[in-house]
Amino acid sequence: MSDSDLAGTVRRRGACKTPGGKLVIVDFLLERERLRDVVVSGDFFLYPEEAIEPLTAALEGMPVDLPPAGIAARVAAAIPPGAELLGFSPAAIAEAVRRALTPETDDD
Amino acid sequence: MTDRESSPVALPQTHDDRWRASRWEIVPAMPLPPPMNMALDEILTERVGAGERPPTVRIWAWSGPCVVLGRFQSVRNEVDEAAAERHGIELVRRISGGGAMFIEPEGAITWSIYAPDAIVQGMSFPESYAFFDAWVVEALRALGIDAWYAPLNDITSANGKIGGAAQARRNGAVLHHTTMAYAMNVPLMTSVLRIGKEKLSDKGIRSADKRVGPLSQQTAMSRQAIVDHLIARFAGAYPSQVGDLTADELAEAERRVAARFGQPAWIHLLP
Repeated sequence: MSDSDLAGTVRRRGACKTPGGKLVIVDFLLERERLRDVVVSGDFFLYPEEAIEPLTAALEGMPVDLPPAGIAARVAAAIPPGAELLGFSPAAIAEAVRRALTPETDDD
Repeated sequence: MTDRESSPVALPQTHDDRWRASRWEIVPAMPLPPPMNMALDEILTERVGAGERPPTVRIWAWSGPCVVLGRFQSVRNEVDEAAAERHGIELVRRISGGGAMFIEPEGAITWSIYAPDAIVQGMSFPESYAFFDAWVVEALRALGIDAWYAPLNDITSANGKIGGAAQARRNGAVLHHTTMAYAMNVPLMTSVLRIGKEKLSDKGIRSADKRVGPLSQQTAMSRQAIVDHLIARFAGAYPSQVGDLTADELAEAERRVAARFGQPAWIHLLP
């Protein structure tokens, strides 16, 4: 799904439901082939809660041509030591990004 | 409230020794504005962690309808704000993760459990979810409701999902709160919550097959009678006494509502 904001920049959104787990949604602006203003949201659990900030920051400025494995690795590397993800994963975040970048296969 | 696990899961050990290790305070329901309920969860968790309050079970009541967003949910992805406003439904955000709840004061049964971390020592997060809901499942089964715990955080039944739980950890304490549906106004709920296809497509189950099983469809008991039953089961099994919120706790909650829980910066934390 995509919407245009006032500046005409395209906002993209992709979601991935982990089987037996939770939904993670990634939305961002696409700017010069990079992700900007990234929001990672969903009904997952993350302990401690503040770990959402480095997870989100890991996607900021990411080039759109990074393959899903590379996205997942980048997210995984940003998880603070001792933090725990429940119901989602770096791979689910990467899949949500991939879906956001390929709107024709996005069923949202 | 849309997920449903298809197969029963064995009841976890109830770990009664852990429940019996301390004397619980049961705080009866007091109707409060939704942001006050959010703030109290944070304050009581902190105070139990600091040893300033005994382990506590607080029964919730609401002064009005609301949507409670999970800590990590985006407003625009979850809620039709214009529809919520039109129907007089307040939007709040809780400190725990998990999914949005659509709450009407007489339609939901909610409580919070606040306990020192020691109660879940050695348990994984998934195990701790099962642990905190085990007594509730037994209480429902005692009413003849075929309920069971479904990982990660659901209480479900042969007739559909009944409720869900969420946890937060702060200051050496764990907060575990659970909401069960008593009666559901599905048309109003679906006009306010955006329930996406992704959410409903778990394991290839189509949305039409997803069911919720509000308690009013599974028992003739009133909402209040079920609440009383839950309290009686808890108090019958574990050492406890009825208590109350202190004036100081309520005043601190008012302060945090003004500073944070009632503010757009928190409610729209994820736009």
